[in-house]
Amino acid sequence: MSSDLAALRERLEALVGAGNLTVDGAAYAVDGMVPALVVRPGTQHEVAEVVAACAEARAALVPWGGGTAMAMGNPPRRLEVVVSLERLDRVVEFDPDNLCITVEAGMPLGRLQALVAERQERLPLDPPDADRVTLGGLVAANQSGPCRLLHGTARDWVLGLRVVLPDGTRIHCGGRVIKNVSGYDMNKLFIQSFGTLGIITEVTVKLLPMPVCRATVLGAFTGFAEAAAVLAEVQASFLLPEALELLDPAAADLLQPVLGLDSRGTFALAAGFSGSQSTVDRQVRDLEAMVASRGGHARTFREAESDRAWTAITNVQGGAAPDPRRVVCQLAVPIARTAGMLDSARTRAAAQGLAATVTAHAGSGLVCAALLPGDDLTEAGLAAVTEALREEAVGIGGSLVLLQAPPRFKARVEAWGKPGPSFAIMRRIKAEFDPQDLCSPGRFLGGM
Amino acid sequence: MSNKVLVQELRRVVGEANVVDSDVHLQLYQYDAYLEERRPDAVVFVHSTEEVSRVLKLCHAHGVPSVPRGGGTNLSGGTIPFKGGVVLEMIRMNRLLEVDKGSLRARVQPGMFNLELGQALAPLGYQYLPDPASQKAATLGGNVAENSGGPHCFKYGVTTNHVVGMTVVLSDGEIVELGGMAPDTPGYDLTGVFVGSEGTFGVCTEVVVRIVRLAEGVKTMLAIYDSIEKGSETVSAIVAAGMVPATLEMMDQLVIHAVEKSLACGLPLDCATVLIIEVDGLKDDLEEQTEAIVRLCMEHGAREVRVAKDEAERALLWAGRRGAFGAVARITPSYLVCDGTVPRTTLPLVLKKVAEVGEKYDLKIPNVFHAGDGNLHPLILFDWRDAEQKARVMKAGMEILELCVQLGGTISGEHGVGLEKMDAMHLILSADDIQAQLKVKRAFDPADLANPGKIFPAVQEVSHVQ
Repeated sequence: MSSDLAALRERLEALVGAGNLTVDGAAYAVDGMVPALVVRPGTQHEVAEVVAACAEARAALVPWGGGTAMAMGNPPRRLEVVVSLERLDRVVEFDPDNLCITVEAGMPLGRLQALVAERQERLPLDPPDADRVTLGGLVAANQSGPCRLLHGTARDWVLGLRVVLPDGTRIHCGGRVIKNVSGYDMNKLFIQSFGTLGIITEVTVKLLPMPVCRATVLGAFTGFAEAAAVLAEVQASFLLPEALELLDPAAADLLQPVLGLDSRGTFALAAGFSGSQSTVDRQVRDLEAMVASRGGHARTFREAESDRAWTAITNVQGGAAPDPRRVVCQLAVPIARTAGMLDSARTRAAAQGLAATVTAHAGSGLVCAALLPGDDLTEAGLAAVTEALREEAVGIGGSLVLLQAPPRFKARVEAWGKPGPSFAIMRRIKAEFDPQDLCSPGRFLGGM
Repeated sequence: MSNKVLVQELRRVVGEANVVDSDVHLQLYQYDAYLEERRPDAVVFVHSTEEVSRVLKLCHAHGVPSVPRGGGTNLSGGTIPFKGGVVLEMIRMNRLLEVDKGSLRARVQPGMFNLELGQALAPLGYQYLPDPASQKAATLGGNVAENSGGPHCFKYGVTTNHVVGMTVVLSDGEIVELGGMAPDTPGYDLTGVFVGSEGTFGVCTEVVVRIVRLAEGVKTMLAIYDSIEKGSETVSAIVAAGMVPATLEMMDQLVIHAVEKSLACGLPLDCATVLIIEVDGLKDDLEEQTEAIVRLCMEHGAREVRVAKDEAERALLWAGRRGAFGAVARITPSYLVCDGTVPRTTLPLVLKKVAEVGEKYDLKIPNVFHAGDGNLHPLILFDWRDAEQKARVMKAGMEILELCVQLGGTISGEHGVGLEKMDAMHLILSADDIQAQLKVKRAFDPADLANPGKIFPAVQEVSHVQ
């Protein structure tokens, strides 16, 4: 450890206590880069002090919540300090009568859901791995799940944030009311800012009343065309599913043991409904009929069974056996192109002999493709498939982002893709907020 | 640069007829729906993104500020050219460029009126959800600039929740695309930051919006109360019962009288307040929801609840609500619209306090508000020709905003800060908060030529009260 770092270590130790600082950063490596120090501040004030100390020492830092999005992005250009938010996991204020809760950024999403469920409320954001995802991480990485179809993403639910800027200044954005145009909408700046503009320390979100009824219809189809036809029919109908997930046969097979399905090798279309008994019943009925009319096989799960089905569907990509070679990418395309993109991803992968698991938030324009090279395929081949998919997505106005890939692979394939013309504005924003380039340097779009 | 030279140069860029600078014309562009006035040096009618870019390049080269203007319905002075310069008249850029039903997106030009977009989409079976009360005269570009709300926000959110991309021209003339047809564009959410920036980041010349199917069914109710507290208590009771109506709007007696005088919607004149409640969605449970809400209203002291029997009755109820500001304008020479927002459960308390402010300053303050959102619109009536009265109104307005902040709310729910609430910004933002916001301003508009002199007290040169 250099003398500068040793001095920083002493200073941080004085701020947070020796028990909350470690020099063994192996568990906090970012794309293989191991931090010299891991610090766990206990309050928002301490976060500010830690960040200020790092800024003074010109030490590069990366904030760390539940670690679920750490595989995203470019390897950091530099990394001295990981700031873990794990001790910031308290409720600041829960106001159930106004459907609103404020928590510290390290609060895991699952814990927040359990807490507000006691008052028959929920936050309709459902990224995978809810027990690990923290609210701060969810916001910084803009993580979402199947429910984004009806309920949108973090930008639709975050009312307020508190942020420690790269120089240690504390600011707040928004508030706790649902309409707020008092100055710029700074919440939007920090949602999906990926730790490059500071550290989010507190999050206020609005909540929804818990629905009376929930149900899930899972349709199984032998062909892609039938599944896509039902999807299109649902989208053109009056039905208001909360979620619409399309799964290729590899993904559907992963669900099979969990949900006790009896077919293999089929495409699956899952639709989630919530609301009053009468609307849920009607939608289940309508969807079952649509599935049947295309020769599919429908299975319906209700209430707790429905919840269990969604947990399985949401986490299906995480259900595959861990493999360090796996590349997971997210394709964002116009909604009408989603099913086609899913089909293209699996076809291209198959043509190259890749094992692929492809799922889609089918009504939202997002496809998730997990690609695993066979024994005879080189990394170059995998990179070629990824680039071809990126070209296809970009060609229709979309993007491809790597959710997970070996660091070596990221040297071949840009984690975020090529920045567009608005990148100049983004760089000016980054320079204004982080002139020393110390917060997650290099991790974001264009090496920003 | 002298005005004359500026006008000559502008004419060279956009053509003789598209620049106006006569006294009469400039006078038309020196005010909006707020109370202040400032005269521009020239007004330029623009027709395309490229034209906007050429005009802004010229302005940038000469250090001339500019302000885009849509319908001019802004309530906080956002469209007043505070530092003179050029007003960009956007109203001719009013075409619907594309409707993609499969991808649930529409691409529109900013000069289109909000209502026009709704009328274009309805025959296709689709709708754009944000619906500010002024939708007949408010443009989509203005909605974007102000992050406008409307009566359906409680369930569906505000403009920012429905804008997914745009083309903007920065103050140096550079054309930039933000967001787009696909979701989750990598990088910072510049679309989200731009919405609500009140014209201070640049000029929006195209908007990509989210559209949705028209609801299968809708039910509209009018609950009538003899006490305003009972009305606002019902709002919280409905939400506490786990219901999410599309609309929860309230009008008090003074507003009802004004509305009846000019629109005759059949509202009872002897009640204290009415609540307009609308539920929409799948038709299967609308009856059931309606019955539950009627029951709740009666339990919480409603005198009567009327359910609109058909589209004509529904339209009449909405005409009253949407026409409320206009109706009030007919009974007073001027009014100041406050736009504070509070946590919904504090509504009964804040209404009582607003009435106290009215008594203290000897001013009439009718109320019309988005009760579900906790967004108040006390309308302080006065005569603009009476300077002493105007000073009292300004004090009363500030006191109401302070009240909202004390109760956990904020100073503007949907009308923006503009010139009006610059002095109230310190109530909710620290000096560091403001500095952070100014960093974003500099990133978009380093030369400070895009609608300068707005929002932030720090960059305000002199008091705006003339």
